[in-house]
Amino acid sequence: MSSPPEPVTDLAHYRAALHAWLDAHHEELALRSEPPGTLDDRIAQMQHAKRVLFEAGWMQLGWPERVGGRGGSPMLRTELGAALAARDLADPGLFSLVEVLAPTLIDFAPPALAAEVVPRLLSGAELWCQGFSEPDAGSDLASLRCRAAPRGASTWVINGQKVWTSLAQYSDRCVLLTRTGPPESRHRGITAFFVDMDTPGISVRPIEMINGEQEFCEVFFDDVVVPADRILGEVDRGWAVAMSILPYERSSCFWQRVAYLYRRLQRLVDAAPDGGRTAEVVGEAYVQLFALRARSRATQHRLADTGTLGAETSIDKVLVATADQTLYDAVRRVLPEGIALDDGAAAEAWRREYLYSRAATIYGGTLEVQRNIIARRLLELGSDE
Amino acid sequence: MIDADERAQMQETVRGALAAAVAASGEPAAADAALAKLGWLELLRDEPDDAIAIVFGALGATNAAATALDDVLLAALGREPRADLAVVLPRFGTWELPGTDRGAEGLATARAATAETLLVVGGTAPEPWIGSARRKDAELRAVHGIDPAAGLHTVRLGGAPDVERLDAAIWRSTVARGRRAVAHQILGASRTMLGLARTHALERIQFGRPIARFQAVRHRLADALVAVEALDAALGAARDEPSPDTAALAKAVAGRTAHTVARHCQQVLAGIGFTTEHAFHPFLRRTLALEGLFGSADAIVLDVGRRLLATRQVPTLIEL
Repeated sequence: MSSPPEPVTDLAHYRAALHAWLDAHHEELALRSEPPGTLDDRIAQMQHAKRVLFEAGWMQLGWPERVGGRGGSPMLRTELGAALAARDLADPGLFSLVEVLAPTLIDFAPPALAAEVVPRLLSGAELWCQGFSEPDAGSDLASLRCRAAPRGASTWVINGQKVWTSLAQYSDRCVLLTRTGPPESRHRGITAFFVDMDTPGISVRPIEMINGEQEFCEVFFDDVVVPADRILGEVDRGWAVAMSILPYERSSCFWQRVAYLYRRLQRLVDAAPDGGRTAEVVGEAYVQLFALRARSRATQHRLADTGTLGAETSIDKVLVATADQTLYDAVRRVLPEGIALDDGAAAEAWRREYLYSRAATIYGGTLEVQRNIIARRLLELGSDE
Repeated sequence: MIDADERAQMQETVRGALAAAVAASGEPAAADAALAKLGWLELLRDEPDDAIAIVFGALGATNAAATALDDVLLAALGREPRADLAVVLPRFGTWELPGTDRGAEGLATARAATAETLLVVGGTAPEPWIGSARRKDAELRAVHGIDPAAGLHTVRLGGAPDVERLDAAIWRSTVARGRRAVAHQILGASRTMLGLARTHALERIQFGRPIARFQAVRHRLADALVAVEALDAALGAARDEPSPDTAALAKAVAGRTAHTVARHCQQVLAGIGFTTEHAFHPFLRRTLALEGLFGSADAIVLDVGRRLLATRQVPTLIEL
């Protein structure tokens, strides 16, 4: 099979064609063999894979034609992301930024801008980041303060700070949330911008994480001038932009994450010594992964059928975070010395991922926030005040 | 295939009829009569997946103790479901075949007490056999245990019945069907336990406010709902991709879910949940009894874990 099929709705057929193609082109797609390397390695691997897949026409499937896509169901890109995760060709934590940020541009950017930049993201020519969280606006995103003010008729000036901005130091652009209403306007006074990261006045300071990597950063904005045609959506309506991301993050990105976690369990089973309580420990992780995969699958189908997702995806978030930590707890229990002492490359990768997994119940909305949403919106327990 | 509206309507009908039967009499015969009147056997024949999901979900939700599990197993074994024919189930917590060359030892539903004939599957999983025994030749004892209302019996047969070869695949799919039915029943019971705890949290006033306003209480109920929905999804996947493996995993999820839900709900119900004056306790009892049918969660987890290590393969089992 030398080229991807025309957009198809038959997912099983598409999946078979995709895996056959990935099998045939593995040498071309993979920059290195396992174990997965450092963050630099993983970004290089992902961008390389995107370039190869874009040239062959796979990356464009499931994206609308007006941004250079080839059309078809968004499930096609879900399948592609999952297939790449299952082969360690793209780290889903990094790859899912495409799934989160491209739809934002498609839905909210001026059409010409979306048509210009989305293909650059898909093809691996660029990386983008998401400037949402601030030092005083984490779980409480609506309290953000990074300020944007109009200057003249056609420009805005941005001042303030973002934090936990993943991959900012590698990024060419940023989808940025700013305060444009009064300080207390909460979700009503937020505006989203699409900002070039090489604009004067932007400085980036990477933060070292507990696992030694520098995935996220502080980003400072000091009189950063942005053209008004870089506003996403409408002025003071940026909350809608932020919220529109949720269905993508909670469907396609989670399915890719699930594929990644199965791959990790496979690696653990490959490395696990027999005996002890190993069977129980890996069995428990497998059972949890099955329930998570079943839930995520149902969510994909609900999104495809109804076009929307809501508060019920907080359940998916709790399940994916819990299964992630259960899996890496299993790694630590089955390979304790590997995690604690071994300085080989494979153990190094496990240790990095183990430490990273501790954040699974924090990023993307803490477990506590998810439980609050489930209690109020799904169980209808009323206000907690 | 029944559409979603029709299914929801049937769920309501079956639940209402079983609730009425439970209110009138806790005996399995009352629930069996209610199901017969609703056309359970016809539905099982025509739409087995919907029949199992709807009827066992409602049995769990209402705590009715029908003997419909026999019908599910008989149909899976290729026999005509009959009121005078009961199936010997594997021993508590296991899915080992109950029949041996010395006879049989296992569990049975309340149907065994009135049936004329007991159907026994025995031998080994790769080479199973099937045979019939007269009930009066069996030593049958009603189980009280944690859930006297469940109608469970222990069965012991002294001599091997006349047997014939059974296709191993048929026994595997029979176990799978049984597991899905029991897991649906656990799902129904778990939803009811959560509903009871939710109602209590909204009505119980302490410190001048409903305890549902306390985050610690809200989070327990939220975790219970997560567990319930995980089981619901697992059963949906086991239906769409039916196999012994998906059914086994769904049954394991059911055991874990029942434990999580019962733990959180009992804590939220607090004092009243530890009494027989509140409706909670029969559901807790039922889930503990059902946990042992066709393999406990612990036994299944250990079994799948051993297979993962033996084959060094981690199958994903379900696709989009």
